[in-house]
Amino acid sequence: MKISKLYIGLLFTSISLSSCSDDESTISIETPTNYSFSRDGSSTVSFGGQTTRIAMAEELISALTDETKSKESLLSMFAHEEGDSDFSDAELNASSKSVRSKTAASNDFFSNNTTDASAIKTQLDNWIGSQHDEVFPQWEVQAESGTAGQIADGESTRYISANGVEYNQLVGKSLIGALMVDQILNNYLSTAVLDEATNIEDNDAEVVADGEIYTTMEHKWDEAYGYLYGASVDATDPNATLGDDDSFLNKYVAKVDANQYYTGIADDIFDAFKLGRAAIVAKDYTVRDEQAEIIKENLSKVIAVRAVHYLQAGKDAVATQNYGGAFHDLSEALGFVYSLQFTRKPNSEASYFSKNEVDQFIEDILAEENGLWNVSATTLDDISNEIVDAFDLVLAEAVE
Amino acid sequence: MKVQQALFILLTASIFYSCDSGGDDTSEDNFDRQAMLVNWADNIIIPAYQDYEEKLETLNQEANSFANTPTANQLVVLRESWMSAYKAWQWVAMFEIGRAETIGLQGYTNSYPVDVANMLANIESGNYNLELPSRRDQQGFGGLDYLINGLADSDTEIVARYADSNTAEAHQTYLTDLTSRLLSLTSDVLDDWQNGYRETFVNNDGSSATGAVNKLTNDYIFYFEKHLRASKVGVPAGVFSGTPDATDVEAYYSTSFSKALFKEALAASEAFFNGRHFGSGTLGSGFSDYLNYLNTIKEGPDLVEIINDQFSVIASTSDQLADSFSDQIKNDNTLMLNTYDELQTNVISFKIDMLQALNIKVDYVDADGD
Repeated sequence: MKISKLYIGLLFTSISLSSCSDDESTISIETPTNYSFSRDGSSTVSFGGQTTRIAMAEELISALTDETKSKESLLSMFAHEEGDSDFSDAELNASSKSVRSKTAASNDFFSNNTTDASAIKTQLDNWIGSQHDEVFPQWEVQAESGTAGQIADGESTRYISANGVEYNQLVGKSLIGALMVDQILNNYLSTAVLDEATNIEDNDAEVVADGEIYTTMEHKWDEAYGYLYGASVDATDPNATLGDDDSFLNKYVAKVDANQYYTGIADDIFDAFKLGRAAIVAKDYTVRDEQAEIIKENLSKVIAVRAVHYLQAGKDAVATQNYGGAFHDLSEALGFVYSLQFTRKPNSEASYFSKNEVDQFIEDILAEENGLWNVSATTLDDISNEIVDAFDLVLAEAVE
Repeated sequence: MKVQQALFILLTASIFYSCDSGGDDTSEDNFDRQAMLVNWADNIIIPAYQDYEEKLETLNQEANSFANTPTANQLVVLRESWMSAYKAWQWVAMFEIGRAETIGLQGYTNSYPVDVANMLANIESGNYNLELPSRRDQQGFGGLDYLINGLADSDTEIVARYADSNTAEAHQTYLTDLTSRLLSLTSDVLDDWQNGYRETFVNNDGSSATGAVNKLTNDYIFYFEKHLRASKVGVPAGVFSGTPDATDVEAYYSTSFSKALFKEALAASEAFFNGRHFGSGTLGSGFSDYLNYLNTIKEGPDLVEIINDQFSVIASTSDQLADSFSDQIKNDNTLMLNTYDELQTNVISFKIDMLQALNIKVDYVDADGD
């Protein structure tokens, strides 16, 4: 009896699944081939600020492995001020943009939660500072349990804290969540931002922003796009070089897409960006918001898959006493776990994990004596499983 | 009722299906793994390390003699001993297991290209810690290559660095530091094999991922893929970067030694595949026997023949290369690429066909560079 019920349930599921595909015919807007949109013959696509911040973040994470840098110079690269000579690139120095000001700074999550926003910014300051204070003085020292220094990971040499953490990895991977994912999912793809003030009215009437060729709504969507594709060789066709264009979200969308179980996710994300932008041009905000949800769901999944991947890779490496490899994986894992607080559940106002939850995960991972040196495999499994359950993933698939 | 029957069939089918992919072949695999491990340890690995250690002792002595008496003649003698030890290294390089794995023998022994700027800084300051991972490309055979072949254009000038009072002591010290470090690292590994690890190794004959067969098989394939195929041939030929770089070859400063080293490594790899005893033609238990044994259970293509034939193709293709790989790259890189392609064919045979037949999982991933 039970079995037949189950079977009937299955039947209904498959019926409802197959009927889904019929809905697509109701979408009259076509997904464009490329991300190129124009008005009166000129491109309306613009995301220079995002390209700039990606470039600043790249210089920052490189500087974190230059032991000659002062603490002030590292922190200034994070919190750049216009005209300061923080970077090797003069254009970045001249820019008014800063990575820190857009860290944990989305409208939906942080406009009325400056407490967490400030705590997250300070957390990143502290990790950057610790690289200088704890690791740089130990640059020419062999690391061991409880002692910061260098450790071999295959042919690479890694630089770790006394508890085994590569702060440069932790900072880099945390920025993927705190800067890129937060800005895309919780800011620029939010209706609160897209529809702010007279944005709908203006977009309907094609009233362009002051002195610009785009409407404000078009521009907001493009700014979301820029945090993922802003460093692409050809941003109208970014998947041609996906993964090679930055060390942040672009790179890890490509890595997840390269996993056979998630192949196609990169196309799904790009298609949604294109169709959503075309929907804005067509003034169809329902289709726009559907695409925004697709992007939110998939980019959240990218963070979750990589968090699980690195937690498990680290666990396996610890088991074979490959500490250099393990700490590298686990430092990346810590950053992706931290980034989970910026993910977004589809059609909701909530992230998959709260700030408190990810803070607790990180505390648990580092709870043993000398942190990663004695990391508990059980803890790594427990956290992996919590992520897998929350995102409805399959552990063995994410591990690949 | 019908529905339940159909479901039962589906369920049963899926159970059978999962059994099929679970590798139930092992139950029929009664190959004597321990005999193979014994042959590997007693007739191949330990004798190869003994031979290598002897040659390192000679190298270390000659380096000290040259440091005491820096003459052009003694430089030639030193080079001979360096070449002899460097060749012997090619016969143990693939055994990065046990103590060798723990101390990272490969990285400290044969990282190249070397970091000349930092080596010169080390010599100048006299302040360096060769045990640090970041100093791996400032020591080993590559470091010695620079010290005895690359310091200056002529032998006279090279000798002068070790003879002139301003530079002599610093150079002599660095030279002998490198040779004594090579020797002590290797003695450490060989001592371990001779004082307990050999027993650990041969008794660890299970088929789990941590079993000695599984581990050394992975090490063997990793070496073939990463060092023989990539570092010696692929990287300098520009396979990965798209731009050939003649300075990336092994033993770059000696100018015409890279092919000889490659040939030694290739011969060592082929010999190990066939279980051939070190320094003799005697065949013992090895991958070839194991694969032939498995083939008697499950009729399949003759993998041993395929792999050995391909070893011959690699040998004949690489025979055409110039003694100096850097010259070859500059003059006709296509031949280097051809050699790479032939090596790659065996990488696939090892990684896919051989590992499937042996029911062994790959325990390393290609470094993703992040």
